[in-house]
Amino acid sequence: MPSPSGPPTHSVLVCGEVRTCLLPSLQALDGRAAAQLLRLRADDHVRVSERPTMYALSPEVLTGVDCGLPAANGAKVRAVGTVAVRGALTEGRLLQSTAYVSLPAAGPDVRRPWGQYLVRPGLVEPLGKLPRQAVAEGVLRGAGRGELDLGMIAEGLLAQLRRHALLDRRVPFKSSPTRLRWVARREPEGGRASLVNFTVAEGGLRAMELLLPADVPAAAAAGLCEDLALHDWLLTTTQYMLDNSRLGAADGPSVVEVLHPVVVHLLHLWMPRAHVDPALGHLWDVLEDRPGFSRQWENLGRRIRDRLALQAVPRPYEALSRR
Amino acid sequence: MTEAVFRESTAEPRTQSVPLAHLSVELGHLYMEDFEAGPERLREHFAEVRVWVDAVRASVDRRTKRPRISTCFLVDDYFSRFSTPAELIPMVLKEAERAGLVIDYLARESACAVADRIELAESVMHRLVESPPPGSYGSRPPVSRTGWLANGQRTPWTPRSALGEIKGWEPPRETAARNHSVFMDVELWSEKDGRRLWSCPFLAAVWQLARLGLLRHLGEPVLVPTSWAGEDFPHDWDRLPPLTRLTDTKAAFSAYRTCTLMPNRFLAVEDAVRLILDQIDVDAGALDQVATRSAGEGMPVPAAVAQRATYVFYEEPGGASAAEEA
Repeated sequence: MPSPSGPPTHSVLVCGEVRTCLLPSLQALDGRAAAQLLRLRADDHVRVSERPTMYALSPEVLTGVDCGLPAANGAKVRAVGTVAVRGALTEGRLLQSTAYVSLPAAGPDVRRPWGQYLVRPGLVEPLGKLPRQAVAEGVLRGAGRGELDLGMIAEGLLAQLRRHALLDRRVPFKSSPTRLRWVARREPEGGRASLVNFTVAEGGLRAMELLLPADVPAAAAAGLCEDLALHDWLLTTTQYMLDNSRLGAADGPSVVEVLHPVVVHLLHLWMPRAHVDPALGHLWDVLEDRPGFSRQWENLGRRIRDRLALQAVPRPYEALSRR
Repeated sequence: MTEAVFRESTAEPRTQSVPLAHLSVELGHLYMEDFEAGPERLREHFAEVRVWVDAVRASVDRRTKRPRISTCFLVDDYFSRFSTPAELIPMVLKEAERAGLVIDYLARESACAVADRIELAESVMHRLVESPPPGSYGSRPPVSRTGWLANGQRTPWTPRSALGEIKGWEPPRETAARNHSVFMDVELWSEKDGRRLWSCPFLAAVWQLARLGLLRHLGEPVLVPTSWAGEDFPHDWDRLPPLTRLTDTKAAFSAYRTCTLMPNRFLAVEDAVRLILDQIDVDAGALDQVATRSAGEGMPVPAAVAQRATYVFYEEPGGASAAEEA
């Protein structure tokens, strides 16, 4: 992108957080309603894609920040700029919000006039040098008091969307939201993006590290992380429903009661890479290889279908006792 | 990499570009009191403005051999309605001509609020991104809740502490202060009888964005000039297009830079306009187009949008203050 004020600003680090949850609406939204929900600005497009899955992406809006960056080594780094935040809705059912920023290696020693930050949306500049590694670790660990908190900014948008007048605020089944924190270290242009690690932690927290070539936009990385977060949420939620709902126990809920919503609302949502930038699609391969996201999903689907099939036939002892 | 075979147009929105001149010169802004002061007031105004227009043209000539300069004039039909286009426009054109000036485009102030059924002011309001005072980590209430926009931190509102003692006054603080603050707080709109009345500085900020070619609605240009085909201008402001092209000029309405000529009593309003422009996240596609094209012509625009607007504040012609007092 040409930068009128001098050389373009190269980022060395991109960080973000994705929040994923079930849309609080009994009915899934259609494309029109999704566009209405995500119209964060009256004069800007909501990107709506119908194939291979219905997917709507809001325009990005900005939040101005001037605060410390989280740094694992305790370094105090003040940074100023704008955080980009956007919302996405998949199949009118799964709602996500992502807040993300790009960070350059160094910035001016004093704060610039605000108008100069606004023409570089989604860029937060450190005052002085950026301790890249410490900040990357700090972001994954989570923000301290008064530090740049991407999770809070993402949650702010998610809360706003969940209160939207279009929604009846009722859910077809209970589920927990997940958080995915991610950092991407910038690599020289022309290289190949790679996934360094993907960690599943407790409390719905996930962490992910990437290497991202300079020519791949930060928004594409955000899109990949949203895609992974969405599928991780599907696995987490479905697994939990199968494992923890005391299925089939004498005093527990009936199998059909628990599994019916999974079949109706979730089984068809599995569509890895559907809306991921082609430059990043191959990062899925690593996770397909180990632990095997799709393998696990197929297995869960099979288990659900088997449990439901079993319901259709009378159990042997029940058949005997009826004689 | 191979080009994608499958495309969905709704998934790939585009920002259309608009024609751009080098400079948009605003020759005046007419309010009811100016009109009531009679044609002499306008005559004085244009005579004074003419001098500065020549200077502004000379400044553009210095940068390019083939300058594209368009002129515009704004009539207030938002805060008060007076006269009719049929009566007013010929008079304005005549007085401008007498001073050797040509008005290429005429706009109605209400067009900055709503033009062609598009709520421009509302859209721009959604694009405000407040300058964060130090310590902001993303938890401030949005400006849309308050209706005021400042250039720093207001005096904290602490009437009494828990123990009841009254705390001392704390000053407001300008975020970009150099040693000392010049704190400013701008009212963007007021509400009366459930109707929102946009403030003059806010509409003027929308007007600047339009002149700078930075407004779009769903990627399409807005406030597109319409040529007036008829002989006589209408007798109702609502029947006049929001932006009318009055000449066959080849210079586009929007431009890389703007220059606004006005009496010095508008200084505070225009300072407020700059404060607003400095906190608007304008359409990124439009911003890129202007940056690329101006750089391609060897006259790159300043990065910050507010820096693209220049002004000449001149002493109000004699008799103007007397007319106001009357």
